[in-house]
Amino acid sequence: MTRYLQIWLASARYSIVRTLMFRFDFFLWATVELFWMSVNLLMISVIYDHTNSIAGWSKYEMLLLVGTSLLVQRFLMGFFWSSIFELGRNIRSGYFDFFLAQPGNILFMASTRKLDLDGILNSFVAMGVVAYSAHRLGLHPSAADLALYAVMIACGLVIHYSMLVLSISVAFWITSAQGIEGIYFTLSEFSRLPREAFRGLASLVFVWLLPVVVVSNAPAQTLLHGFQPVWALALLAAALLWLGAAVFVFHRGLRRYSSASS
Amino acid sequence: MNKYRHAFLIGLQSNLVYRWNFAVRGFFSLFHLAVVFILWGAAYSGTRSIGGFSFGQTLTYFLVMLVMQFFVGAFNEDYQISEEIRNGLINQFLLKPINYFLYRFSIFVAARLVTGVLILLPLLVAVPLLRDYLTLPTDLWRIPLGVVAMAFAALIQFSIAYCFGLLTFWFLEIQGFVILSMAVESILGGQMFPLDLLPGWAYRLAQLLPFYYQTYFPAAIFTGRIHDLGAVWQGLGIQLGWVVILLGLNQFLWTRGLRRHTAVGG
Repeated sequence: MTRYLQIWLASARYSIVRTLMFRFDFFLWATVELFWMSVNLLMISVIYDHTNSIAGWSKYEMLLLVGTSLLVQRFLMGFFWSSIFELGRNIRSGYFDFFLAQPGNILFMASTRKLDLDGILNSFVAMGVVAYSAHRLGLHPSAADLALYAVMIACGLVIHYSMLVLSISVAFWITSAQGIEGIYFTLSEFSRLPREAFRGLASLVFVWLLPVVVVSNAPAQTLLHGFQPVWALALLAAALLWLGAAVFVFHRGLRRYSSASS
Repeated sequence: MNKYRHAFLIGLQSNLVYRWNFAVRGFFSLFHLAVVFILWGAAYSGTRSIGGFSFGQTLTYFLVMLVMQFFVGAFNEDYQISEEIRNGLINQFLLKPINYFLYRFSIFVAARLVTGVLILLPLLVAVPLLRDYLTLPTDLWRIPLGVVAMAFAALIQFSIAYCFGLLTFWFLEIQGFVILSMAVESILGGQMFPLDLLPGWAYRLAQLLPFYYQTYFPAAIFTGRIHDLGAVWQGLGIQLGWVVILLGLNQFLWTRGLRRHTAVGG
């Protein structure tokens, strides 16, 4: 365990040095992420100029939900996105051999290699959105609630990570599948919607089959209405299940990997 | 002219070959439409009208917008141009009597023709399902003027993509710029919400920018979000103005960029 922590710290140090070398890139990507977050927040605030409720959620409740969803996504972007994105490219090109030769868990080595400081920086903006919405709603969460919220965000991160690994693993079978990571972005759009908005088939698919709605709604509900065992258990179960599925599919795919060239 | 016709025909063929990419994009669009349906359905649950429009009208707006984008949207033209500059493929165009802009535009038109016709297939399935929600105005003048606005919109979108592609003369990577501009375009082009829902001053400001004319304007003509004919003519005038400005900018960036360009090897 400590060995993996050391490896991760070494990767983090390398990423920080790299960011300091390419400062313009860092500012550019930080701005890109900030703009996209603003797009989502602006849309919500424009809709609420014309209506008081979306599926029973008030404006600031909704902003808290969107902020939570963005927070999980920022963490994913900051800690894993670059590495997993490159993983897909490396599988296609054959550069993935490099990771196979490393002494350690292959999924860990390949998915934690690079940190994106811009994503981590923007996670503070997302936290700001959540804190501001909570303030406007007059919420005073206890330390226990906050701790629970943090644990739930971590579970959400595990779920997002697993979904991304699953969609990238498609590359083991279909090497021509470029842009397949788009699946992840499309699915994450659903996580900015309140659970109550889903009915019928949509509820079955996006709430029960895919965990995208639970990821954001469970932590947001905890801040808004306190600890609810059903939400917490659903999230924990989904996190374990999806991580298991991702590890399984990734290793299944690994058997099919046949390198490229010499 | 003949040489661009050939470029167009090759564009048609290559787009028919890469059907898989189209299928993936169509599939994502379907999910996006589901998000729109769920979000706006929930927003309309407490009210009958938002900005003077019913749920059906708003849904129609998003559907028209989505279908229209398959006909006029520039999706990866910027990356393709960037790639050709970076790996030196444009060198061959510098040596031949071919206008690179026209060559690229011919391929763009071919690509949009293919994706536009292909999107009509899933639409045949979707329309009967959504029939109860769809409402379009019946004024006949909306069709010809909307089509003209769409043609200008295609030119604007292609020109913007072309500009971003040419940035490769100055920067190694353009992806950051492109995704940044996508955020701006998605808001100011009306893809996130109909622009008329913006506060009055912001709407008037948006009307002065090119993004308004690259997607929102034609969609608003078709779906009745712009009421009177006078406003449409005025809009077409501003749209044409932006087409001219952007074409000029393309030319400017091309000549300036070529001065920096170094062709290596044979």
